[in-house]
Amino acid sequence: MDFFGSILYGFQVTFQPINFLFCGVGVLVGTLVGVLPGIGPAGAMALLLPATFKFSPTSTIILLAGIYYGVQYGGSTTSILVRIPGEASSVMTCIDGHQMARQGRAGPALGIAAWGSFIAGTIANIGLMLVAIPLAHAALKLGPPEYFALMCTGLIIVTYLAQGSVLKAVMMGLVGIILGSIGLDLISGFPRFTFGINELTDGVGIVPLVMGLFGISEILENLEGSLEREVFKTRIKNLWPSLKDWMEAKWAIVRGSVIGFLLGVLPGGGAVISTFVSYAVEKKISKHPEKFGKGAIEGVAGPESANNAAAGSSLIPLLSLGIPPNPIMAIFFSALIIHGIQPGPLLIRQHPDLFWGLVASLYLGNGLLLVLNLPLIGIWIKVLEIPYKILFPMILLFCIIGVYSMNNLSFDLYVMLFFGVVGWLMRKFGYEGAPLILAFVLGPMLENALRQSLLISQGSFLIFVTRPISAIALGLAFLLLLTTFLPHFKKRRQQYDQFKE
Amino acid sequence: MKTLDQTSSLFWLLVSILVFAESLRIGIGTVQNPGMGFMTFGASGILGILSLVLFFQASVRKEDFRQKPLFAGTLWRRIFFVLLALTVYARVMPVLGYLISTFVLMTLLFGILEKKRIKFVPLYALVATLFTHLVFSKWLNCQFPHGLFGF
Repeated sequence: MDFFGSILYGFQVTFQPINFLFCGVGVLVGTLVGVLPGIGPAGAMALLLPATFKFSPTSTIILLAGIYYGVQYGGSTTSILVRIPGEASSVMTCIDGHQMARQGRAGPALGIAAWGSFIAGTIANIGLMLVAIPLAHAALKLGPPEYFALMCTGLIIVTYLAQGSVLKAVMMGLVGIILGSIGLDLISGFPRFTFGINELTDGVGIVPLVMGLFGISEILENLEGSLEREVFKTRIKNLWPSLKDWMEAKWAIVRGSVIGFLLGVLPGGGAVISTFVSYAVEKKISKHPEKFGKGAIEGVAGPESANNAAAGSSLIPLLSLGIPPNPIMAIFFSALIIHGIQPGPLLIRQHPDLFWGLVASLYLGNGLLLVLNLPLIGIWIKVLEIPYKILFPMILLFCIIGVYSMNNLSFDLYVMLFFGVVGWLMRKFGYEGAPLILAFVLGPMLENALRQSLLISQGSFLIFVTRPISAIALGLAFLLLLTTFLPHFKKRRQQYDQFKE
Repeated sequence: MKTLDQTSSLFWLLVSILVFAESLRIGIGTVQNPGMGFMTFGASGILGILSLVLFFQASVRKEDFRQKPLFAGTLWRRIFFVLLALTVYARVMPVLGYLISTFVLMTLLFGILEKKRIKFVPLYALVATLFTHLVFSKWLNCQFPHGLFGF
């Protein structure tokens, strides 16, 4: 099938009633999750995953993808109107978006965020189609040492980009690897670290782990303090940005899309980091940097475009290499495995319906978000006004249902609660959950690749430096780690952390 | 942050020692033929070293007295109550079934923060329980326990 034939085939798949429905439900749920602080994209995906068991893998992935980029849209609404980012990827939108709202320009801020997201999402889709297939072909030549090196690099980039201490992030990565090794050993078939608990033979489930670390811990943190939040009351008008707004924002959208796309593809990159970089770039090259922080439309257009582009492009390493580049993609990875599909270089060839259906659904979902969400902004604002005392029991109940439905085991609820408390303490003690989740998913693959490599080389670690791709990847990872100890980079990192705060 | 880092580093050091010992017990194999404890042996070893680095880094750092104590202002009773309610729920749900146990749980959770309209709490709980049952059990075919009473 030629390229355009494949795209048409993708649209045929996406326009099947069930897939169309899942795409619509995904983007709506995603937007809702983006608006509401508490569950997060990973938690929402984990919640709906058990409900997809009786549907096809293609429908499931279309649903999950819809949630993922729907969240990016929804997060901007809370950032602009309440100055509370629904998601971490909308933090930068708070700065100028909320200022615009205070100046009576909430409509153009929401409008440019939605249009920027749409344009960036479309650019990312085109990139996904063009890059994923050649990359998958190239990946067929990679062996265990290359995979080991690429996964190590991904993990190190995640820890490098962590918000707090790199040391603590590396430690969390190692804890993730250890947690990922609980259960049956892939090679010998014997259980390990199960401590006689039968339920642990299959390992710790990703759903209770994610729900605990992100969902429950956030609820516990919110329950600690005041639960009141103020929605900025304003009449939203002129959702279509003016010509002047477009002229000011157009290059920010283009730059944001490119930055988001590139950082999304990189292992360890993703939507969050791309928004920080995009905002910094816009401020740096602006002729009026003093306007930033006071309602500059470029400060909304750039980051909002970047997070959507990154959401699309982060599918590339997952679908073509089988390596999830960030924790959200780790949930995608688990979803594919649960549905009996091995992500990797053969995925596109063996499951063209899944790949092309997903690509077409990204176009459709982007369009749906634009068509549905701008008119629905009034509803999202009403959702924001739901008091937390009503919201938090519902979020807890959804977490419980998501976790229980996975295996119908009460044990999973205990696991979720345990990791909820662990996650809450981690937040208190300054440890991040993202490296842990990514390492948890990559751990078994990493171990497999390491053991296979050592079997191939008959015990020589030189195999990782004598093969060019693995040598370059590991060299890059080593250099990256080294820079954290150099005074110049230490200073830059401190500035970066202050900027993020 | 100094004391916190010292405390947490010691905790991770303890974890690393336990995993290290267990890895040795289950067998790390050889470099030519790695065993099932090989990876965790390496990971726990590095974790232990990094925990010590964090401990010493924190020890030489000056304490920031401007920082508020970590758990100051934390509403302990509220958090403890929620965790206890969830733990009991996980225990009794298979026995009492989804509908009854979820109704009781939601009544407790809604009741924690509702001070004024307490009489509406059972109604909220009932609506939440029936709504989730309808969506997840009836429409999405998720399997919930029926319990002693068969519903």
